[in-house]
Amino acid sequence: MLFVENRELVVPGRLLAEGDYFAGEGTFLEGGKIFSAVIGLAEIREKSISVISLQGRYIPRRGDRVIGIVTDTHPFGWILDLNSPYTGNLMVSELVGRKVDVFREDIGKFLRIGDAVLAEVREVDERWRVQLTASERGMGRIRGGRLVEISPAKVPRVIGRKGSMLKVLEETSGCRLEVGLNGRILIRGRDLKKVNAVVEAILLIEREAHLSGLTDRIKAKLEREG
Amino acid sequence: MAEAKPEKLLVDGRRLDGRRPDELRPLRIKAGILKRADGSAYIELGKNKILAAVYGPKEMHPRHLQQADVAVLRCRYNMAPFSVEERKRPGPDRRSMEISKVIREALEPVLFLHLYPRAVIDVFIEILQADAGTRTAGITAASVALADAGVPMRDLVAGISVGKVDGTVVLDLMKEEDQWGEADMPVAVMPRRKCITLLQMDGNFTPQEFRQALDLAFKGVEQIYEAQKEALKEKYLPSLEEGR
Amino acid sequence: MKELIASVKKEYLVDLAMQGKRVDGRALDQYREVSIERGVIGTAQGSALVKLGNTQVMVGVKLEKGEPFPDTPTSGILVVNAELLPLASPTFEPGPPNENAIELARVVDRTIRESQMIDLEKLCIKEGEEVWAVFIDIYVLDHDGNLIDASVLASVAALYDVKPPAVEGWTLPEFPLRAKPVAVTVVKLNGVMMVDAGLEEENTADVRLTISTLENGNICAMQKGGSGFFQREELEKAYELARKCGEELRKKL
Repeated sequence: MLFVENRELVVPGRLLAEGDYFAGEGTFLEGGKIFSAVIGLAEIREKSISVISLQGRYIPRRGDRVIGIVTDTHPFGWILDLNSPYTGNLMVSELVGRKVDVFREDIGKFLRIGDAVLAEVREVDERWRVQLTASERGMGRIRGGRLVEISPAKVPRVIGRKGSMLKVLEETSGCRLEVGLNGRILIRGRDLKKVNAVVEAILLIEREAHLSGLTDRIKAKLEREG
Repeated sequence: MAEAKPEKLLVDGRRLDGRRPDELRPLRIKAGILKRADGSAYIELGKNKILAAVYGPKEMHPRHLQQADVAVLRCRYNMAPFSVEERKRPGPDRRSMEISKVIREALEPVLFLHLYPRAVIDVFIEILQADAGTRTAGITAASVALADAGVPMRDLVAGISVGKVDGTVVLDLMKEEDQWGEADMPVAVMPRRKCITLLQMDGNFTPQEFRQALDLAFKGVEQIYEAQKEALKEKYLPSLEEGR
Repeated sequence: MKELIASVKKEYLVDLAMQGKRVDGRALDQYREVSIERGVIGTAQGSALVKLGNTQVMVGVKLEKGEPFPDTPTSGILVVNAELLPLASPTFEPGPPNENAIELARVVDRTIRESQMIDLEKLCIKEGEEVWAVFIDIYVLDHDGNLIDASVLASVAALYDVKPPAVEGWTLPEFPLRAKPVAVTVVKLNGVMMVDAGLEEENTADVRLTISTLENGNICAMQKGGSGFFQREELEKAYELARKCGEELRKKL
């Protein structure tokens, strides 16, 4: 039995369903009943129920694309802040894509504290140590562009269903976007005005992430301003 | 503090501020009022004005305080120097340290701390204006702030104090009743499952009065719980409604 | 105050509890052996050493003249302090009192104060100027669980140990006492309630409730501790345990 409607706003502890349902993300099971664990929107997909969180921290998962900021170094690499309870570790070989003899080569030339890095989560172990990799083409140290930070809970909206929103943002502005799932987004473009329009559009998406018809509105806005 | 005790705290079933024994003071809760905090809430209960903020889950420093299997919850209950008649000396004292501890233990049961091993969640409760019942109102606000921060929870936690004045069990003591009454019992509850997560008491209760006081506390908590849910919806609903 | 305890030990304790049993063979409502020694310290006006099994708490009471608080000019002063001494447990560290020591002191303070066992009005020497201050110093010597109950027992025993004091300026015929409050702490272990938890039980339990009662069964102080919770019916049960065990303990005072 269901106790909520699809897309209904629920608070933690709200009873969602009982019986033959699968407890998805943002929910928990207690005595055979499914409750919401977070504030968010109930999402019912056939026999599965989840809650799309409207808030919350980024938690690293394998395969995630993130933008980290170097906060510390160690003899074999760097520690990156991921806008998360957990920091990421980037070994020098995972940055340059080859073995590096750290006793012969000064790794300080690759990255410095404060640098932003586009990386992928390679592994999260049981102790929540996060290993990153950034050797793929287009990854690694970020040079130039504008970096904005939004709530990680709103990132899926910036990407849109099957990348639809991201496509609109890029195509109508002519800018290139790198979206970190940890809420950091990099915008690259020659026209400063267009870059700023994209930043504004992203902040609008963050504010109104759960409005429907948002993609069309963003498109119209960018076309108007561009 | 030097004021004289009123002759009666209860006249014809009415309290000093005109309330009946089972009535709450005017209550207002607002969610998400601080920009920088991950979650926040403001509560007014009678003359109490209290802010709560949540930071985290975030990385725990210093590292040796990390717990390998769970996130650590830290709570700080603090009274502003200007929050009471006589200026309160700033910083923690024995009372606030004890209160911080029982507040932490009142909130822990609802949190899924095992989801964030080695991390920390900080809860800050600032009493801006105090008029009795600050620890329980602080808990009420803190649990809204935790939800506002998107921290996974089993339930909210709602707190209220009950007590005894002129031999009558009453809900939500105000300052004069706290000062001159015969008993004070702060209670916090997970409303959905009716579980008690904070219970303190000082004064004198017969077993019968204790039961009565619990009944009254549960009644008060129901109202507070509704106000908490409303506050959260008030923050999050508008942007959702527009889109429909 | 929690110490890490191997999960196999926890499971064992929980299994036992579910069968109504305890690791040392006690019943769920049974205290460890209680011993109260009075007058153990000559330099204190009153003192006591309490043992609950291996837990040992010493309390010394000192009387000193002092100034009354401005809002209670005719009332004596009560000060309760607790020290979790480093010699009492590997988990206790030197330094200023932490939240556990403060909580312990404040729960004992509330029990003594709210029971009104000391007639503080009689401790007035000169209104607004001079009153007797009663200092209760709790010294935890060996921590094997249930410090609160042991500390309350020791404090009340030490107060009753105060003889018409041979303190300069003392004029009352005796130390004005009029009640014997007793604290009983109930812990919950996987839903099973028991009194006087030993250290391992205490570290396995997720919640405790202390109820301080008077001779007539009235409650004068309560404190929930630990990160668990209680159901309403469990509070009723806790009160019954507190009343019953409290009566037994009071006989020893």
